[in-house]
Amino acid sequence: MLVEPRGVTDPQPLKLLPGRAALLPHDGTLLVADLHLGKAASFRHAGLPVPEGSSSGDLVRLARLLAETAARRLLVLGDLFHASSGCTPAVLEEFAAFCCRHSGVEVVLVEGNHDRRVRIPSELGIDRIVPSLEEPPWRFLHEPPQERTAGWIHCCGHLHPRLSIRSPSGDRLSQRCFVEEPGLWILPAFGSFTGSSVVPIAATTRVWAAGDDAVVDVSRMAQLAVGRRLPPARA
Amino acid sequence: MKQAVRQTGRQRTSTPAAAGPLDAVAAWCRDQGWEAFPFQQEVWQALADGESGLVHAPTGTGKTLAVWLGAVAAGWTPQPLRVVWLTPLRALVADTAAALALPLPQLAPDWTVATRTGDTPTAARRAMRMRPPTAMITTPESLSLLLSLEDAADTFAGLRLVVVDEWHELLSSKRGVQTELALARLRSLAPGLQTWGLSATLGNLDEAATALVGTPESSPRIVRADVPRQLEIETLIPSPMERFPWAGHMGMRLLPQVVQTLAPVATSLVFTNTRSQAERWFEALARARPDWKLALHHGSIDRELRTAAEDGLRLGRLKAVVATGSLDLGVDFGPVEQVLQIGSPKGIARLLQRAGRSGHRPGAVGRLVCVPTHALELVECAAARQAASEGVTEPRQPLTGALDVLAQHIVTVACSGGFREEELFAEVRQTAAFRQLDQASWQWAMDFAARGGPALAAYPDFARIRERFGRWYVAGPAIARRHRMSIGTITSDAAVEVKWLRGGRLGTVEESFISRLNEGDRFIFAGRTLRLFRFDGLTAWVRLAKASAVGVAVPRWNGGRMPLSTLLASHVQKLVAEGSQQQPPTAEMAAVEPLLDTQAAWSCRPQPESLLIELVASRDGHHAFLYPFAGRLVHEGLAALVAWRIAQQSPATLVFTVNDWGFQILGRQPITPGGAGGGGAFWRRMLSTEGLLEDLLACLNGTEMARRQFREIARVAGLIAGHGAGRKGDRNLQASAGLLFDVLEEHDPANMLLAQARREVLEAQFEYRRLDAALARIAAEEIQIVEPRRLSPLAFPLWAEQIHSRLSTQGWLERITEMARELEETAACSSSREA
Repeated sequence: MLVEPRGVTDPQPLKLLPGRAALLPHDGTLLVADLHLGKAASFRHAGLPVPEGSSSGDLVRLARLLAETAARRLLVLGDLFHASSGCTPAVLEEFAAFCCRHSGVEVVLVEGNHDRRVRIPSELGIDRIVPSLEEPPWRFLHEPPQERTAGWIHCCGHLHPRLSIRSPSGDRLSQRCFVEEPGLWILPAFGSFTGSSVVPIAATTRVWAAGDDAVVDVSRMAQLAVGRRLPPARA
Repeated sequence: MKQAVRQTGRQRTSTPAAAGPLDAVAAWCRDQGWEAFPFQQEVWQALADGESGLVHAPTGTGKTLAVWLGAVAAGWTPQPLRVVWLTPLRALVADTAAALALPLPQLAPDWTVATRTGDTPTAARRAMRMRPPTAMITTPESLSLLLSLEDAADTFAGLRLVVVDEWHELLSSKRGVQTELALARLRSLAPGLQTWGLSATLGNLDEAATALVGTPESSPRIVRADVPRQLEIETLIPSPMERFPWAGHMGMRLLPQVVQTLAPVATSLVFTNTRSQAERWFEALARARPDWKLALHHGSIDRELRTAAEDGLRLGRLKAVVATGSLDLGVDFGPVEQVLQIGSPKGIARLLQRAGRSGHRPGAVGRLVCVPTHALELVECAAARQAASEGVTEPRQPLTGALDVLAQHIVTVACSGGFREEELFAEVRQTAAFRQLDQASWQWAMDFAARGGPALAAYPDFARIRERFGRWYVAGPAIARRHRMSIGTITSDAAVEVKWLRGGRLGTVEESFISRLNEGDRFIFAGRTLRLFRFDGLTAWVRLAKASAVGVAVPRWNGGRMPLSTLLASHVQKLVAEGSQQQPPTAEMAAVEPLLDTQAAWSCRPQPESLLIELVASRDGHHAFLYPFAGRLVHEGLAALVAWRIAQQSPATLVFTVNDWGFQILGRQPITPGGAGGGGAFWRRMLSTEGLLEDLLACLNGTEMARRQFREIARVAGLIAGHGAGRKGDRNLQASAGLLFDVLEEHDPANMLLAQARREVLEAQFEYRRLDAALARIAAEEIQIVEPRRLSPLAFPLWAEQIHSRLSTQGWLERITEMARELEETAACSSSREA
């Protein structure tokens, strides 16, 4: 689903992909946020028996997305790894092998709060690790900024947004989502063993439900569900 | 005052023991000015004979002394530790210690009594390990913790007696299973240990006693204290009845009458069924009579405030205390003259327990007044009163096969110096909870503790316990530390502390409640109207606000709803059918009769041997209301089952609500094909017992119930970090149980904890056996389908019920489309109404 961001005069569209990733078609950049690789391993390290599989599964999904989009660059918007105790040799080797298989793809990590507590080995295959990245009009960050600078589209992760809507007859939808405000994009967490938190819906908020098989614009539903007055839908 | 004793255990020829010590005990009793009851003497003798058993009696009849004086008479040397006294509530520990210390100066001056809970300071714990007391009063959780310490074998080697107070409270919960396992461990550490339980009257005393003493002790002694207590139970009848609401448990309509009932009595206890109800009633009473000294008592209020309320009650300084189940147990408060029960008592045992909290002054009569909150509760009050007078009580089923508790226990024992696998297996199988445990399940629990799962499953780098030279030990000190912090089976939601801005704690509320409030919003808590100043994620900082009736939120705590017991539900059904034809009609039924007449006029009055189904169409969709009168839990299972079967015929998303009388299924499409006329066969199919278990298991996946149930299991089994979580450094270890459930389903689907979650929903939540019986009953009944033009009085509470469950056989995309259409329709509808 191609979406034009708001808040800048010359918007470049963003393509929202099933499986909680996005593509910048103009330069072939695949965007993902919050993989939290090795989270299960860090749980096991602390004596909590969580099975392995989610990290490998997420890397398989990521490889498939790279192939499908023929992306030239992979931009991770922070929290690639979960914790230093989870960066076991097996987890690191798996990621190194992934980078090796995609040597034609530039891998860029915008450092997240979790990454800062992990010593990431240089030989892993990550081409660049940066605190933030500016490519006008885009500004890529991990955490959404307190104040948005005019003229920029801030693109972030960190929040693990989820949408929760209840219909009048009692059905409830709870799904991870993409969130957009003028000048701001928040991506859903890519990692499958990650939690999420419900996003507040302001009058200017647009939301897309991020399923494994489809992305659906649910902005209007979300607005109706919080009781906001909207003009009748076009037939 | 001498009472007759009836012995329900098998008759024994008791050998006359050395009369000396028992005579001293009897003499001490006479010094106190009372004669020992025969049941107490029976317990003393049984204790002297080395027997184990269960004493059951109403509260306040001297069960504690029956067992304690028997122990004192045994004359054991004061060291090492001789008696462990378990009580279910930490709040009862101090009171129990005081009661046990009372006869010691005269009867056993060298004996000491000490308490051990999570609050005991480190210095006191160390002192206790250096010089153990003769008797230790503690909770099941603290006992498990002691069993996990490396010197557990030394601590308990000289133990002679373990007493479990309020055993009925623990019995049908995971804490009961935890207690059973701990008792089995104690019996291994101290051979010849005697076990005694104290319990209120239950419908299944034999089972309760067996669970207590374990399986090798085949015939525990059951001693009944036949001390009759005079109880008066009545119901407040609303007047005028027409304005009394049909639904809603927060109703305050009877406030003036409640004030009148409280006015002439010096001290009353006002019980509510939920904490929110307690908050509201306290607030309303305080506003109605600012001159009265009132206090509030429930589980989320800070301990200091609760203790103040208890002290006020004990000293007779308070006019009334509004309380929840938090005051069901414990030492009796002499000054309490009457008890008010707000809302239906929901069970006969509960009614009796609460009524028994009043009238403890010599010669006084226990008095309980039921205060219905809506019209149909009048019937429940009448039914409970009637059943109580017939002398029947509900049973409490002990839990079996809880692998999460077993896994926790395995690590506990590994922490305390290790175990041999075959020995622990044999020990565990001596509990009633795991008598049926098979080798495969045991092996799984061992693998789960050792490797996270079976050898082939994917748990690299994981170990909680390790084998060395044939014994299993905990894998490291850090693992042991974390395990000790999370021992226990009580799960609570993320609790947020409520604190005054200027310092001082008020208690805790659930995070989900406080996060819905904005700064500046007002809410009622701990009996005060508060304004939220700031919420920083762990603490809600508040200031006092001006009280007002509008715009003030009341917290809701999860898990407060009590289901109507089956026993009571069947009494209710009988009363609804007979109504005021009963001779003489009770006041409750006479009052509710006009409402039942309306039910008859608009729809039908449910009859015995017939299942009433009402089909109604409304703006919300198509409703079906069914009234099997089987209690809330069974209805939950039935509703999920029927919704699942309906949605199997064509993909649909159905919403259902339940209460104790029946359930509602709501869909976007008409539910019965061919309307009321041709529906009989359809409903027979939906309610058939054929394929019941398969369908129930299948519908669990459609309803997320197993996922919800997994929360407790995950916490007990050690999948979720316990109390240590939330501290710095542990933040990385937070994951919701739902997420863990999904991860296990995907990457270790054979994990037995998943199967346990499903089984627990089936057995504990839906009460599978009751559900099966209910369906069998319905199969023999006539089905009566009516299509009322509007919601009948019985349907109304189901329609107004706020807790919905959902079952869907549609994909998420279809559901989104349907929800969008619904939201558009509603929006169009409300804007056209305004135009």
